[in-house]
Amino acid sequence: MSKTLTRRTILKVASGGLAASFAMPAILRAQGAYPDRPINIVVPFDTGGYNDRLARAFAPFLQEKLGQPLTIINRGGAGALLGHTFFLQQPDDGYTLLCTSAAPYLPLNILTQDAAFKLEDFYMVNLPSQDYTLMATSAGSDIQTVDDVISRLKADPGSLSVGLQPASADLVNFSILCAANEIDTNAVRVVTYDGGGPARNAVAGGVVDVGLVGGEGFLPLAEQIRPLMTFDTRKRDNWDGAIVTDVLGADADFVVGSQRGWGLHGSMQTSNPEVFQTLVSAIEAASKDPAAIEGLKNQQLATDWYGPEESNQMLARTAKVMEQYIDLLKGN
Amino acid sequence: MIELDSVYGAFTLLSSDGNAWLYLLPGLLIGLVFGAMPGISITMAMAFALPATLYMDFLPAIIFLTAIYTGAGFGGSVPAVLMGIPGTSSAVATTFDGYPMARKGLHSEALGIALASSVIGCLASYAMLFVLIVPISGVVLKLGPLEMFAVAVWGMLLLGSLAGAHISRGILAGTFGVLLGTIGMNTAGFVRGTVGIPWLLDGVPQIPAMMGLLAASQLIGLINTTYLIEDESSRKISFAKILGGVRQCFRYPTIIFRGSLIGVIIGAIPGVGSSISNLLSYSETKRNAPDGDTFGEGNPKGVIAAEAANSSSEGGAMATMLALGIPGGGATAILLAAFAMHNIVGGPSFIAHNKDIVYAIMFSNFAQAILLFFVGLGFVYVAGYVVRVPLRFLIPSVLVVSTFGAYAIEGSSAGPITLWVFSVLGWGMVRYGYPVAAAVVGLLLGGLLEGNLLRTNQISGGDFIGYGLERPWALVIFALMIGSILLQIVSKRRRAKEAFLSTGSSS
Repeated sequence: MSKTLTRRTILKVASGGLAASFAMPAILRAQGAYPDRPINIVVPFDTGGYNDRLARAFAPFLQEKLGQPLTIINRGGAGALLGHTFFLQQPDDGYTLLCTSAAPYLPLNILTQDAAFKLEDFYMVNLPSQDYTLMATSAGSDIQTVDDVISRLKADPGSLSVGLQPASADLVNFSILCAANEIDTNAVRVVTYDGGGPARNAVAGGVVDVGLVGGEGFLPLAEQIRPLMTFDTRKRDNWDGAIVTDVLGADADFVVGSQRGWGLHGSMQTSNPEVFQTLVSAIEAASKDPAAIEGLKNQQLATDWYGPEESNQMLARTAKVMEQYIDLLKGN
Repeated sequence: MIELDSVYGAFTLLSSDGNAWLYLLPGLLIGLVFGAMPGISITMAMAFALPATLYMDFLPAIIFLTAIYTGAGFGGSVPAVLMGIPGTSSAVATTFDGYPMARKGLHSEALGIALASSVIGCLASYAMLFVLIVPISGVVLKLGPLEMFAVAVWGMLLLGSLAGAHISRGILAGTFGVLLGTIGMNTAGFVRGTVGIPWLLDGVPQIPAMMGLLAASQLIGLINTTYLIEDESSRKISFAKILGGVRQCFRYPTIIFRGSLIGVIIGAIPGVGSSISNLLSYSETKRNAPDGDTFGEGNPKGVIAAEAANSSSEGGAMATMLALGIPGGGATAILLAAFAMHNIVGGPSFIAHNKDIVYAIMFSNFAQAILLFFVGLGFVYVAGYVVRVPLRFLIPSVLVVSTFGAYAIEGSSAGPITLWVFSVLGWGMVRYGYPVAAAVVGLLLGGLLEGNLLRTNQISGGDFIGYGLERPWALVIFALMIGSILLQIVSKRRRAKEAFLSTGSSS
């Protein structure tokens, strides 16, 4: 009998511990000078992705500036819709921050998923990571340049298979490229992947002829791919190949890739202006901390400081371009 | 392929830092305990430990994390055997024969068999990794959707084995599972069957659904029983019997070898991994065993096949991660994050420049596998006491822990809701004679099957046969599959003939 008791006791202690840890934030609601208790960072993606890595790498530096420990909460799922909704459901008291790919996921949630929020519900303090679409092929491929791709697709749109993610900036960029060259996008063999990782693997392994995926993620695979075209007005990450203005002219239309970084509740500006100011300054100070810049650079993570004004403008601009291509993003 | 200089370097590295070895034991224990908790996945156990590794040196950090990986890989099998609840999705096939063995009072043997096959599978996979790391990495990336589809179809063959008395009901349950597996947003961006519930966009949460179908349905069915094992005298925990199980395992080297090979290869494919390899190995073993009909009723060979494959998938996943810098699943993604924390970037250049570290990781995994044997012996001995707990205490406790686990893995009430919906569903299926396991297999494979069939269609522009002929590896997989089925038919005929002859002569 004593043995069953032991097991029950263990279970009780285990479940009690779990319950206590869940109840903790509610108990600690006492008010004092901000911040007087640990702060949560919501990452609307699962562990291991760029945002998760960014949040975990940046947290120690931000924590130092705020004087309270930061806890990272991963709320992945449904293209960040679940995490974004969860974040907005938390009180705007400065004890919940957001680290997300604001673009393209906030506009996508709003445009294609009937999200119950608007872009203005979020306030982006800083979006240090500015990803871009890279068109690439496998290192052993007979495709040498982006002109090869265009001429082959022009001759026969079904001659190449193209790997990308549905409802992505990459798809929009590919459609713009096709439209400019009078290629029928619907006749191209577009192969859709569930994430950037699988799409990049397919490019590196030559499973698809070319792929259009976020360029930063290609860095670890650099030896296995041949970059063909960067969808930005300048060279990025030292990739060879063309940039978008070489191919589509100086006033080229294109969508930037993921814009990732730090966000707050938009409503905080009026409801808790002091806390809001404290957080903005702390994120700025941590982003400019040389130790943080050094530490994040080593992990291929971005810390550049653009500031709230520019960050929110960049996001709004992306959202506007995405709205123009809403039919493509809604897909099928 | 083995470079002696680097091997020597690896030994120097491992012997220079004695502290690194201190993390082996706690790592294994954390892995075992977390893996054995239903709903806590290998990935979660490693994610919990990740922040702690920030303060360690690189080698101890990696040894600590891979020890958790190894421990959790086996930990999931303990509840699979004792209660029919797979602690992780890689232990699904272990429940098919392990749990019936436990109900028959052979729990000690079953745990011993599971432990020994896991240890041998793990050792074998790292031994294969030692020579295969370079060739494997060359092939893995070239696997396209058709090849993955072939692997998924191979897994679906298991349905025939799981059907039980009514083959039609097995197929129906399997199809139902596949349909459930296609709920959510598919790879082309279509949303199906979510009935407006946002968390279903990512599909039915697999682990809570699996726990509900397999476990809760079993437990609810046991409600009128007093103990897991009816016969009181069998309710003993015997060290000798555990060791007997260990010895039993050595009688089937072919099964272990086949399981390990399947595990390494499937484990190396990104996005597939141990949750599929244990099913494939089980179904292959059942098909080739002369006593295949007794699988599912507590045949030790089923446990060996499942355990050898799921533990050896670790080696395969590590090969892809080390050679290509690509995570095959959640666990290796965490390892890569740990690499990044120490400013080491995985990938082809890593393996070319740091052969000594690669070999050091392999050697430390040999040590882990051997240590797992001893730690595991103690762990299963203690865990075995579950059979002495009266079911009126055990069933509610397990359901509560499963509910917590389901919450933990989803981070929202979506987990517990799924668990309970599928528990009722599972109970109903058992009640009306539909094989629950077939639905689980369908659910696990549904997404893989559909996504890759769709991509094959996209990539081939609809010309499946023309495209198929350009994909030699897909043809190899299909040929192996058909060969294995034909072999089964031939050997079955032969056995039937022999049986007929022997009964004919004796009468």
